[in-house]
Amino acid sequence: MLMKQLVLGLLLPTVVGSAILIFARSFAPKKYATAGNEKEQDGFAGWLIAAALGVGYIIGYLGLEGLPVFPPRLGTQWLCYLAIIGLIVASFWHLAVWGPIAQIAISIIIPRLLLTSTFKYTWGPIEGIIWWVGLAVVIFMFWHIVEGSFSALPAGAPGPFVYCGLSGGTALILALSGSLRLAQHAGILVALFVASWIITLVLQRDRKWFVFPGSTSPILTLLLIGIWMNGYFFAEVPTVSVILLLISLFFVHVKRIKGVQELGTRRSTLVQIAAIALPVVIAIGIAIARSGLFGGDSGY
Amino acid sequence: MKTYLGRTQRIPYTAGLVLALLIIGFVGNGPFAEAAVTYEIDTSHSMIIFRAKHKGISYNYGRFNEFGGNLMIDETDVSKSTVQFEVKAASIDTANNKRDQHLRSPDFFSAKQFPVITFQSTQVDMKEGKEDVLEVTGDLELLGVKKSITVDVAITGKGTGERGESMIGFETVFTIKRSDFGMTYGVGAVSDDVRLIVTIEAKQK
Repeated sequence: MLMKQLVLGLLLPTVVGSAILIFARSFAPKKYATAGNEKEQDGFAGWLIAAALGVGYIIGYLGLEGLPVFPPRLGTQWLCYLAIIGLIVASFWHLAVWGPIAQIAISIIIPRLLLTSTFKYTWGPIEGIIWWVGLAVVIFMFWHIVEGSFSALPAGAPGPFVYCGLSGGTALILALSGSLRLAQHAGILVALFVASWIITLVLQRDRKWFVFPGSTSPILTLLLIGIWMNGYFFAEVPTVSVILLLISLFFVHVKRIKGVQELGTRRSTLVQIAAIALPVVIAIGIAIARSGLFGGDSGY
Repeated sequence: MKTYLGRTQRIPYTAGLVLALLIIGFVGNGPFAEAAVTYEIDTSHSMIIFRAKHKGISYNYGRFNEFGGNLMIDETDVSKSTVQFEVKAASIDTANNKRDQHLRSPDFFSAKQFPVITFQSTQVDMKEGKEDVLEVTGDLELLGVKKSITVDVAITGKGTGERGESMIGFETVFTIKRSDFGMTYGVGAVSDDVRLIVTIEAKQK
């Protein structure tokens, strides 16, 4: 059972995702290396990178959950559809008008879809509207933070490394907060980012360094938000941990501080990664403290 | 006088009508009221216990601590009886906090998303060839999935409470497949078949 889950839920998506990534690199322009030129990657190569993450995740989902249920009832059942929505939006992300329109529309729709039962059983009409508006704003803002991180992170391995850390922290927090299944979903992302990181490290000599193009932002945003919302509303992920995960990527902009810039490329990147890692580590610490992992009531 | 006589003449008619209505009312209310009795579940004397097999080795038991419901039992025509039941998913209790937290999570009951497990009967009959056993068919809704199940319910006793109210007891033992309701996590480590033992004491409302 565990072996089947490891193979279908982690190994298979990693293999497929890696294959698509390597294929995508053959379409990438040679001046791909500099940070900030991610717009140039959008197009077929950019979409293929988005597809590597989206298709990789969907394969992992099928391995863990089986065929997706329609209409989805459980929060986790939405995750597969979020990846599909992400892939669709990624395909027209480069169109100036439709990208932002989709961003606004999806930010509004997602909370209502994922939290149908919470609207029904937990929130009254006023409370529901306040939560809905608040969550839509948070999703919209996080989407912009994700986009911002692509240009703020240096080209090459740091991008996948940072997202690997963020997904890994998410998986650990979810496992500590009582949902191993959700942790496995975050684990699929970890596997995909580890693969991306390794591919980038191995192939970076050809100067076609890996930078997440803008078209990957719908998939990354929707999957991370979907997993976090499931963890917060349906499992026991502490509020502070979710907030720290949400804002962690914002610290990518620490590199704008003059003192950090003066440290040189390598050191400033390390500071950047440490600044992102710090809230994630605190979020994990809070989840550990809440879980009673080191208390008497630790297992069953 | 005529008017008076007229009134006096009407008295026996009115009295007769009232008497007739009283008789009809008595006949109508008496036995039928006794036949169709609505009961409320007395949760302090009722239990919902379940068992599942752990790694194919041993049976682990648990219970739900919060539930409620109503029964309407029509003894003259059992088919008119109804059973309605609600169980609070978050009240699951297996005597291990860590395990209970996991059972409440989206891996199993997703108690925050689906806080209530419900049962609503659609058909109640006497079990053929068995006295004091009802065959109850109804919709069990768990994790947002509604499935029709049929269970044999034994009437374990009847009596009268301290205030003279009717009391009745039931017990049913049945097995469900949790995967039928989309609860697929860890099938193997925790058996797919879950046996439920529901024992109810209900008081007349």
